[in-house]
Amino acid sequence: MNRFQQFLAVILSMSLINATILVPVAHAGMVTTQEVATVVATGQAESGQARLAAALARDEVRTEMERQGVDPAMAIERIAALTDEEAARLADQIDTAPAGGIIGAILLVFFVLLLTDILGLTKVFPFTRSVR
Amino acid sequence: MRSTADLPARGRRWFSTAIALLAALLLSGCATQSARLQDARPEGLPVRSELVDTPFFPDDSHFCGPAALATSLSAVGLATTPEALIGQVFLPGREGSLQVEMLAGARRQGAVATRIPGTLEALMRETAAGNPVVVLQNLGLSWAPSWHYAVVVGYDLDTGEMLLRSGPVKRETISLRTFEHTWNRSERWAFVALPPGRLPVTASESEAARALVQFERNAPAAKAAEAYRGGLARWPANAVLAMGLGNSLHASGDLAGAEAVFRHTAKTHGLAAAYNNQALVLLELGRHAEARRAAERGLKVAGPLRQTLLETLGTIEKAAATD
Repeated sequence: MNRFQQFLAVILSMSLINATILVPVAHAGMVTTQEVATVVATGQAESGQARLAAALARDEVRTEMERQGVDPAMAIERIAALTDEEAARLADQIDTAPAGGIIGAILLVFFVLLLTDILGLTKVFPFTRSVR
Repeated sequence: MRSTADLPARGRRWFSTAIALLAALLLSGCATQSARLQDARPEGLPVRSELVDTPFFPDDSHFCGPAALATSLSAVGLATTPEALIGQVFLPGREGSLQVEMLAGARRQGAVATRIPGTLEALMRETAAGNPVVVLQNLGLSWAPSWHYAVVVGYDLDTGEMLLRSGPVKRETISLRTFEHTWNRSERWAFVALPPGRLPVTASESEAARALVQFERNAPAAKAAEAYRGGLARWPANAVLAMGLGNSLHASGDLAGAEAVFRHTAKTHGLAAAYNNQALVLLELGRHAEARRAAERGLKVAGPLRQTLLETLGTIEKAAATD
């Protein structure tokens, strides 16, 4: 990263912190339910560092979603619907997590899958009927 | 140049490799649950059950995520269509939908989306209770995955079948054993989406609490309060749910209601967060002396929230001084 990029990153993260952290805390001082859950589960309060990490994760997911063909305005809404934990998980796994939607298999494994379909271990092809 | 003697050896090697591969495939992961279920049927579980009125949105492309979500939401009175959900849960670059976004998408439609235990019995109990279940299957193999979302709408223990709304098939009957194989590969991922106030019958306390806290994040405050009340009806001793109810009531403008919930929670759980929030609500109500007492009590048990309680006490003192 060159200087300018570093500067830009800082500015962007600051604006994100403003948008995603300060706004929901409309009533300063109230402990949110999420914070209560964190304290009950871990015995520790949420750190500012964790919030910063969450904000950065959101930005990362937004960029990645746009790269994956999601309309930018839609991407913002989709990020807003995620919890911090979900955003962090998605930032790590958006490329590798299972994406339900693929019907059909590549030709290379066609026969293996045909066989396993018949054995009832898989169910790739609508026309197979398992032997048992 | 290849010598002729090589060929049979190669052929044999290929054959043994194929056998080994096949054996590995057959031995990897057994369908133990389905076998057990049919040997000894769980108590109180009907022999068969089917939610015949569950809507069906056929899909034969990559949109099984939006289709499964629309199916499950429409079935519980949150009418929607796959088309309306594509922009919310489909990821074009991956030609599919991610699990995290399926849950977030359900919440965006006003549903509480709760993960349920990864057992066939849980799926059956949910459908018997009237709740369709969204499941992630890998219809292929771990190394040649075909990830697919479907909706479990019933089962039949006599015939040993699971009934699904799945892709282009309105009523797919799949043997329990095959279903278990395909479901095992997603680590038996399943969730139930329900309107606020209702929760899946098999949900654990911790998963339900997690789902409700996630729901509160983007839900209208009154809906969140309704959802928390549903959770507290089943787990009245859960402090996180009680705090959620208090916070939602506060956000919806019901200060008196919020104060009562925080007061009760502070008393029964000795929870610093409850004292803190009670103090701030009392301050909003103009009851400064009581607010200070609550904050001081909270400070005694503050633990990791010490800084928060000190700030609250400061706010109260400042407000009292300007009066």
